[in-house]
Amino acid sequence: MSREAPARRGAQTQRPSSGGRWRSWLRHHRAMALDSARRLLRHPLSSLLTMLAIAIALILPAGLWLTLDGARLIDTQLDESATLTVYLEQGVGGAEAGRIEEALAAQEGVTNARLISAAEGMVEFQQALGLEDALARLPDNPLPASVVIRPDDPSPSAVKRLAGGLEDMAGVDEVRLDLAWLERLGQLAELGRRAGLGLAVLFGLGVLLVVGNTIRLAVENRRQEIEVVTLIGATHAFVRRPFLYSGAWYGLGGGMLAGLLLSLGGDWLATPVAALAASYGAGFALPGLGLAGSATLLGCSTLLGWLGAWIAVSRHLAQIRPR
Amino acid sequence: MIAFEHVGKRYGGRFDALAHLDFRVRRGEMVFLTGHSGAGKSSLLRLLMRLERPSRGRILVAGHDIDRLHHSQVPFYRRQIGVVFQDHQLLFDRSIYHNVALPLEIQGAEPREAARRARAALDKVGLLHREKALPIELSGGEQQRVGIARAVVNKPALLLADEPTGNLDPQLSADIMSLFEDFHRIGTTVMVASHDLALIARLRHRTLRLHEGRLVADEEVS
Repeated sequence: MSREAPARRGAQTQRPSSGGRWRSWLRHHRAMALDSARRLLRHPLSSLLTMLAIAIALILPAGLWLTLDGARLIDTQLDESATLTVYLEQGVGGAEAGRIEEALAAQEGVTNARLISAAEGMVEFQQALGLEDALARLPDNPLPASVVIRPDDPSPSAVKRLAGGLEDMAGVDEVRLDLAWLERLGQLAELGRRAGLGLAVLFGLGVLLVVGNTIRLAVENRRQEIEVVTLIGATHAFVRRPFLYSGAWYGLGGGMLAGLLLSLGGDWLATPVAALAASYGAGFALPGLGLAGSATLLGCSTLLGWLGAWIAVSRHLAQIRPR
Repeated sequence: MIAFEHVGKRYGGRFDALAHLDFRVRRGEMVFLTGHSGAGKSSLLRLLMRLERPSRGRILVAGHDIDRLHHSQVPFYRRQIGVVFQDHQLLFDRSIYHNVALPLEIQGAEPREAARRARAALDKVGLLHREKALPIELSGGEQQRVGIARAVVNKPALLLADEPTGNLDPQLSADIMSLFEDFHRIGTTVMVASHDLALIARLRHRTLRLHEGRLVADEEVS
């Protein structure tokens, strides 16, 4: 007997239909999801500790992200107050100043323009500095008339471009814009964003390591089981599945804990933050995660848990060879 | 059913665990594999289970060169052979029933069908009344019978056993062997590695004798 036809008995004839395979695949997923959840619940304390470690790793980047979100709100408020002051030439006044104001308002990129005459400027100056007496003694008003312009686009580069164009207009002496602090704020925000992203990557790796290590121990504990099921025809996907679910559960639990701790921490910080903001005359509150934010957090944490488990199981499956 | 063609297995570049193996086993045949420990019985079975691959030659099972199976196909190959281990390889954290149903679970069998077949296999080895027990509550002979039930629950065309009576007393050993003969009688190809020569001689089946990795005798029994 040299070559035989493939066996027509045994497993070959029992291969289920594709619909049946799909059902059995779903059935195994459901069974493994429940089984791995039960395994977690069987050791509630150690499961909780793992989830807490994940939560702590998630809180820092998520918290920073929330803070940046709040800062972005301030940022837009400040952007709205970005204005240019156009000083008119000395001696330009009255009707001519009004014409220049209209011309400025008609410029492209200008939302509105407001004329401050020399006399109005003097009053504002006196009020701001409290030097009424000294200034009143001056023989004539040394201040030029000025036009305060609100630009369409408050970004520093656009404002700079606009200012350059205005300076050449007749009757305009100088255009002043305080861009340095705007730019500095923009750079700070960029720094915060990058630091947040870097931290998110770093702590995401942390979550992978925490889950990976936990799953590695679980794999070691079930080594004999893995060997046996491999011997009797389990695929790698079959062996991996319960561990992937464990990882996903750890991630989900960690994400939920992180969300809880974040909202508790937000409440705890709300009062001092509000007081601090009020002292600067700003209305600023730490934003909450919200529905979308919570969903993102849970999605990311679950995915990280799953991925950590996948890496750990794949690495160890290669090492586990049935004896 | 099985064909070994000039098969050799060398470990570490020097040591020949198996050399020049050339034999065939017909479908439905029952074969004993004997020899001292270290003669290569386990290595041969490991090759058949494709836990290892031959260094030379090729092994055909049901007409397929098993060395050429892609590693993703290996699980499906293993599902077609039932294996009984000397140390049973049962899972101690689940019941006898779940141990026996495990191969069906792995294959994704429909639960009701799986239950029916697992119970039938347990009934065959006479342990249906212990289906809810844990393996630890069973004696060595009973554990081995659970291992056999698990190996046959799939109705495999090929049944392999590595020293299935290793730690059992003569009466239990004879009981286990008669179970293998039952499967042989219904058409399963059976290969049993054992060094229990007295028992083998009494059972009168074809016997392959290995010595230092070579096939030194192939005794057909008329």
